[in-house]
Amino acid sequence: MEASFDFWTHLPAVIPELLLTVLAVVVLLLDLYGGKENRRNIAFVSAIGLAAIAVTPLIWGPSEQQVFWGGMVRYDLIAQIFKVMIIIGASITCLMAADDSEVGHKGEFYLIVIVATLGASLIAAAADLIMVFVGLETLSIPLYILAAFRRDDERSSESGMKYFLFGAFSSGVMLYGFSLLYGFTGETNIYTLSQAFPAAVADNPLPLIGALLMLLVGFGFKVSMVPFHFWTPDVYEGAPTPVTAYVSVASKAASFALLVRVLLAVFPVTLVIGQENLQTLWVNLVSVLAIVTMTIGNVLALRQTNIKRLLAYSSIAQAGYVLVGVAAMQSQSDYSVASVAFYLLMYTFTNLGAFAGVLIFSETTGSENIKDMGGLSRRNPWLALGMTIAILSLAGIPPAAGFFGKFYLFTAAVNANMVLLAIIAVLNAIVALYYYLIVIKVMYVDRSQYDSQSIALSRSTLWVIGLTSIAVLLLGTFGAQPFFDWAAQGAQALLAL
Amino acid sequence: MNVLNEWAFVGIFIAIAWVFPALPIIIARFFGPKKPNAIKLMTYESGVETVGDTWVQFKIQYYLYGLVFLIFDVEMVFLFPWAVAYNELNFFAFGAGLLFIFLLTDALIYAWRKNALEWS
Amino acid sequence: MEVSIASYIMLSAVLFILGAMGVLLRRNAILVFMSVELMLNAANLALVAFARHWGQTDGHLFVFFVITVAAAEVAVGLALIVAIFRTKKSINIDDLHELQG
Repeated sequence: MEASFDFWTHLPAVIPELLLTVLAVVVLLLDLYGGKENRRNIAFVSAIGLAAIAVTPLIWGPSEQQVFWGGMVRYDLIAQIFKVMIIIGASITCLMAADDSEVGHKGEFYLIVIVATLGASLIAAAADLIMVFVGLETLSIPLYILAAFRRDDERSSESGMKYFLFGAFSSGVMLYGFSLLYGFTGETNIYTLSQAFPAAVADNPLPLIGALLMLLVGFGFKVSMVPFHFWTPDVYEGAPTPVTAYVSVASKAASFALLVRVLLAVFPVTLVIGQENLQTLWVNLVSVLAIVTMTIGNVLALRQTNIKRLLAYSSIAQAGYVLVGVAAMQSQSDYSVASVAFYLLMYTFTNLGAFAGVLIFSETTGSENIKDMGGLSRRNPWLALGMTIAILSLAGIPPAAGFFGKFYLFTAAVNANMVLLAIIAVLNAIVALYYYLIVIKVMYVDRSQYDSQSIALSRSTLWVIGLTSIAVLLLGTFGAQPFFDWAAQGAQALLAL
Repeated sequence: MNVLNEWAFVGIFIAIAWVFPALPIIIARFFGPKKPNAIKLMTYESGVETVGDTWVQFKIQYYLYGLVFLIFDVEMVFLFPWAVAYNELNFFAFGAGLLFIFLLTDALIYAWRKNALEWS
Repeated sequence: MEVSIASYIMLSAVLFILGAMGVLLRRNAILVFMSVELMLNAANLALVAFARHWGQTDGHLFVFFVITVAAAEVAVGLALIVAIFRTKKSINIDDLHELQG
């Protein structure tokens, strides 16, 4: 440790993480000593606590100095954006969970969500392989527990098991990739790694390509990229609905933040080894993966009858769209990174809204079948409206935020001279319209056996659906440009190394 | 020193290493004679046949004990360097170690209050 | 005799591949876990060997974290196996077919 280590200059970079730890301890003690009648309040304590913590990155923003804690953390604008996004997502998840009859009254549930959020928040700013690994596992391991949270339900424990098996395998492969990167260079900091490559591997890019592929296995699993997506539908269907929402939102956003940061830092455009520009290589690879991911996600979504499974395949397809933005980073423009960040921001609110609707629907009727959603508009018009806004956003129809999300992503691809990629993405979005609109049609036109049964919204659900719908509409209209500009500033910070 | 050659070796070795364990498995599956009989299929474990059902139910507490022990045992890996370098630590490092122990204690209290440490 | 770095890396590559093949081929959940541990420890071996090669401690530090993470992973994994076994009376991962479609 250097002699002039000043604790107070390093503190702002990890304030959200420290407060999350404090909140976790508070929730744990509340659960132990709070008594039975206070259990339900834990949900609100966690939700409000997380919402308060989500503001802290905005108060203690990034400063001139960006590298903290001996190079472990790089706190820049893009890290700030993702931290806010992730912690808000966790806050809404807690609020949503309050109404889940299976997990809502368990204090541990919120504790584990907070710990997972701690991991997600860490990897949004991680600048060292050690930190990346620890953060990623701090995020993943709690999620395995959460997926299997309903212990007596076979489907839940099965989904936890599958998530665990895939996760452990892919993180093992990724770790081996890390050890290779460390071996070539003797560096663990992702920003100094690439400078040490040329001396280490001379003119042979093959070892680096191997390490790159191993890294992509680990990250691909987290963002449910084809061919590492097999866990997604099963986990989404089997896990408790708030967990599904969390996995699809916070976990995915954090992993994309990490993917963008690591790819840009470890394999920058300047890295040419023996005629081979490694950035071109991974851009081509990611483009192909993007096409495969969105196509497979959309095609398989067409024949789903379970709403959670439908949203699972939809989220695979959405990951494919985001990968289009990642591939567009070859142009070195801040536009592509900003489009990725904006998409994930709007996706956070959209998917949380959609899953909140699914949660209330399945809590009341005990069914997750799309055809049982018939007549939802008559059983509770507000719920149907909230679901409709979320689904329109997923489909990318204005005035919902998904329109601008897709617009920015595909424009980024065109700007990067990847017109073919953009065209395939647009075609995919059109195919996806079909299954999204069917859900809306079922809600407003069809009838079902539950038609006469009205659905009541509790206050917390009303808050969740109201807040997410407003956020989605705001980001789809006036909010789009300001938030995109914010993301673009962050992107500049990330690109200007 | 040309580092490249070293890595090329590793690469070739990795390729061969995939084949090496796969080959016997495949060969055995295709060419191995399959003539099972009662004696061949008998469980063999230290040469003695098992008495009763092998799937004896252990108390679930046994697993809880084991898992709690596993976690707390491994955390020692961080406390050991902290303890060894104790005399040269500055105030911050000392505080960080204390915080770590505090969080561990927190987890211990949790396990205790949830009756994970009760044997009956 | 000095053992060269390449030997360590080859050993770790063999362990890693054995682990990976175990995960892909084995059907018993416990054996799959053991194979995953083998993969992690192969990476640990590589990290320690590289740390020695470069004469610094970053690799050792990394290994400390990997060990603790692996322990946490095992704790969760074993708990999941117990949960699965209680409902299904089997830990064969091919029996996990409740969720399909």
